[in-house]
Amino acid sequence: MVVAFFGRGVVVDAVSDEALRWQTIVGGIALLLGVFSIVQVHWRRVATRHEDRVYSAILLLCLAVMAGFGVFGGVGTGSVYDWLFENIQSPMMATMFSMLAFFIASAGYRAFRARSVPSAILLVTAIIVMLGRIPMGQYLYDGLPGWATWIMTVPSVAVQRGIIIGAALGAASMSLRVLIGIERTYLGRG
Amino acid sequence: MSEFFSSPFVVLFPTAFFTLALYSFLYKDNPMFKFAEHVFAGLSAGYYFGLIHHSVIVQQLWTPLSEGTDWILIVPTVLGVLLFARYVPRIAWMSRLSLAFVIGSTAGIEFIRQLHGLILPQVSKTLMPLDSINNVLIIVGVLATLIYFYFSKPHKGVLGWTASAGIGFIMVAFGAHFGYTVMARVSLLIGRIQFLLIEWLRVAS
Amino acid sequence: MSFWQLMQRLDRRIIYTLIFVSVIIPTLFPLKLPTAVTPETMSFFNAVDSLPAGSRILFPFDCWPSTRAETEPMAVAALRHCFRKNLRVVGLSNVGMGGPSVLENVMNRIAEENGKVYGVDYVNLGYKANYQAVLLGMGSSIETIFPADHRGTRLADLPLMREVPNYDSLVYTVIVSDNAMIDYWVSLVNARYSMPMVAGVTAVMAPKQMSYVQAGQLQGLLGGMKGAAEYETLVGAVDKANRGMDSQSLIHLLIIGFIVLGNVGYFMTRNDKREYHGERG
Repeated sequence: MVVAFFGRGVVVDAVSDEALRWQTIVGGIALLLGVFSIVQVHWRRVATRHEDRVYSAILLLCLAVMAGFGVFGGVGTGSVYDWLFENIQSPMMATMFSMLAFFIASAGYRAFRARSVPSAILLVTAIIVMLGRIPMGQYLYDGLPGWATWIMTVPSVAVQRGIIIGAALGAASMSLRVLIGIERTYLGRG
Repeated sequence: MSEFFSSPFVVLFPTAFFTLALYSFLYKDNPMFKFAEHVFAGLSAGYYFGLIHHSVIVQQLWTPLSEGTDWILIVPTVLGVLLFARYVPRIAWMSRLSLAFVIGSTAGIEFIRQLHGLILPQVSKTLMPLDSINNVLIIVGVLATLIYFYFSKPHKGVLGWTASAGIGFIMVAFGAHFGYTVMARVSLLIGRIQFLLIEWLRVAS
Repeated sequence: MSFWQLMQRLDRRIIYTLIFVSVIIPTLFPLKLPTAVTPETMSFFNAVDSLPAGSRILFPFDCWPSTRAETEPMAVAALRHCFRKNLRVVGLSNVGMGGPSVLENVMNRIAEENGKVYGVDYVNLGYKANYQAVLLGMGSSIETIFPADHRGTRLADLPLMREVPNYDSLVYTVIVSDNAMIDYWVSLVNARYSMPMVAGVTAVMAPKQMSYVQAGQLQGLLGGMKGAAEYETLVGAVDKANRGMDSQSLIHLLIIGFIVLGNVGYFMTRNDKREYHGERG
């Protein structure tokens, strides 16, 4: 992969393209490992008469139904698989994440305290951005959207860029460690 | 009667039921929430199974192999199957072959991506002319942030002053990030309430 | 117990109820407040608007169903804009859970509105695992990575895909993403293949993506439901996102109120705690 970036050639291109294709296949099969693990865990709960075995049985039933429709009924628009996704699964996933709005409000009330100068700076900036990015903010004070835009395009960009550069340096060095064989934790040993 | 059963209230009832079952957790944990939670987990796992069967096993493996056009695909098939060897203790070591392939090729891509795709463009765009206060602030902010996260030397003297400036910049950025995070989470709630009121109950247009 | 001490112990369910009410009221009684357009949204709009008719663009929809409230309005507005400009759209998703399904539904709905034909004007390639390999592999050959589209039709049987062997045949990329995939599009596809791109992201991700906008790696950015609302206004198709901005305004004010109230209560009761500890000491 590294060589393919620097030099184009028939052999390099062919090997690189084939490796990329294999990655998509192996990566896809790897996702089934997760499904397998879930089945294993919940099957064990049902078999050992765990107190939540009824819920585990429901989980396994829903898994089987969805997988069965996906394999035998197709995954396209209009299929039962697609209906179950659009009308049950997707709304549930959206609902679960929407509950974070309540938790963030509750946490903001209980825990967000201006105990020091840095936390006060954080609090004031958050309030400016939250007001500047809503239509009502403009009615409160004309300059709020401009202030919010300035915060997003100058100090925030500076910090995010610093974090991107720092994280990228760390990730690049970790990749190099893997490539030269120093890092072997993925094999199950140090 | 048939009008009632084809009305949005009835047709969308399963969706609304599971939505409200999940929201019941906000009052307290209860069997209805647990039921909905486990239905969701089961459907999600089943969804992945159907998707991988369709997009990988059928499209990428079964079709070309059964047509005899791409026998080399047996290699990634074997590599994929070897991943499951981890469940058999005697041959668990074989799964490392597949892992090594995936990790190795990913590391190669990542090494170049981080340097060429992230560090170089971001650093080059930081080197701006010092002809405006905003440019100066961006350059100072990037350096101060990087120095704040450098822990190999004690933050004293010039390093300490710069790190302190870094904290100021970081707090401003995190405040902005918090504001946007609130915006994001609230948007998700608005989406669900719009479904309940506009699409299901039809009390708003 | 003083008033402020009581407020510090406020039951969280009261907070939840107030949040619910502040979303429900504007939904039932819309305020229809106008949304100001930010510079990065304007850049996004101008970038797509400047593409000549007939241009082939890539449309990755890398989103989980959990963020549909933010990302679907962006995708709908962007596709409306693209189809009205008679751009030809190649869609795909690197998020297995729901990405290709949602994209298929959205594309079909908006295409039907605009009289577009599948296979000629738009295609949904679907999903393939391992996004790094997908992004890099498409640079050489899309058909190697996607032998067939989401519906199972071979690419060779699709007129649009016969014209698009790899990135060289595409002039632009319009990304809608709610996760780190956007970093890969920027650092792999924009960096290696010089593919110009704009992105619509969730509000959580918008602060980080501003660095890419400032660096020129992204030519425009939509941030969250606000960005989607602004884009809907520019495209002239006011829809769900604009509808949601009224509730967004009220909840933001409510949460700011909670934070201020919490801090006032903290400072008012801080002295009480100090006196109490003083007595004990």
